[in-house]
Amino acid sequence: MADFRKLVIAALAAGILSGLLLSVLQYYLTQPLILAAEQFEAPATGSEHEWQPENGWQRFAFTMLFNGLSGFGFALLLSAAMYWHGTGGYWRGLLWGSAGYLVFFAAPSLGLPPELPGTDSAALLSRQAWWLFTAASTVAGLYGLLLSKNHGLQIAGGMLAAAPHLIGAPHPEIAQALAPEALQQRFVVMSAFSNALFWLSLGALAGFSMTKLKL
Amino acid sequence: MKTLAGSSVVYSAKFLPGLSAIVLGLTVILGLGFMQDANNYIHNAAHDGRHSAAFPCH
Repeated sequence: MADFRKLVIAALAAGILSGLLLSVLQYYLTQPLILAAEQFEAPATGSEHEWQPENGWQRFAFTMLFNGLSGFGFALLLSAAMYWHGTGGYWRGLLWGSAGYLVFFAAPSLGLPPELPGTDSAALLSRQAWWLFTAASTVAGLYGLLLSKNHGLQIAGGMLAAAPHLIGAPHPEIAQALAPEALQQRFVVMSAFSNALFWLSLGALAGFSMTKLKL
Repeated sequence: MKTLAGSSVVYSAKFLPGLSAIVLGLTVILGLGFMQDANNYIHNAAHDGRHSAAFPCH
């Protein structure tokens, strides 16, 4: 299991550094939009007594923690895929990072774009299920289309990748949002941009660390 | 024995380390992005991160 330890170390390095980068981007690009959207929300009923991080540094510290940990988790998946495929180095890592962006951000966002607080949406469980189904079928799709030389697998992969979008993401019957449309659109663009940089950084750093660790 | 395309990864020494990394990675991601706890502690702490990463929130 020496290799497992190396994968964890590579993922920690890539995840923490990329998580820091994402936190800086969010601090300037998306966090102000989330706070602005909350101004349109009525004071939450029933959640008054709930614990939540205080606005300001405490709230941002939790976001940084989230980014570092999710960076670690995503980097583990990315490193394991590169390890199985026998790839390393930061140039190759950039390509694998782009694939990660497609799987975990772009494809789910096609049906369920990043939302500001106060936006109506369908039942949480159905959206989570669609999100997971989309990520999984995009992995299968990319594998079939880009890595397999078997025509059957290529066709099956393409169909799987398209399936969640043909079925369609769950949406509420009447959708309405409290924040203005312009704010929401800006949030989608800024999230897409900051997550793209995050995934490129994650892939490059994971590939680089794996080569350094001789994985 | 190097690539998945050879479909031999399952029998190779690379199978278990890779699988362990994937299981740990999925546990971290599902916990952070999808867990709904009764008191909303995890939800509220992870709130902004979930919104910005396009995880379904609320």
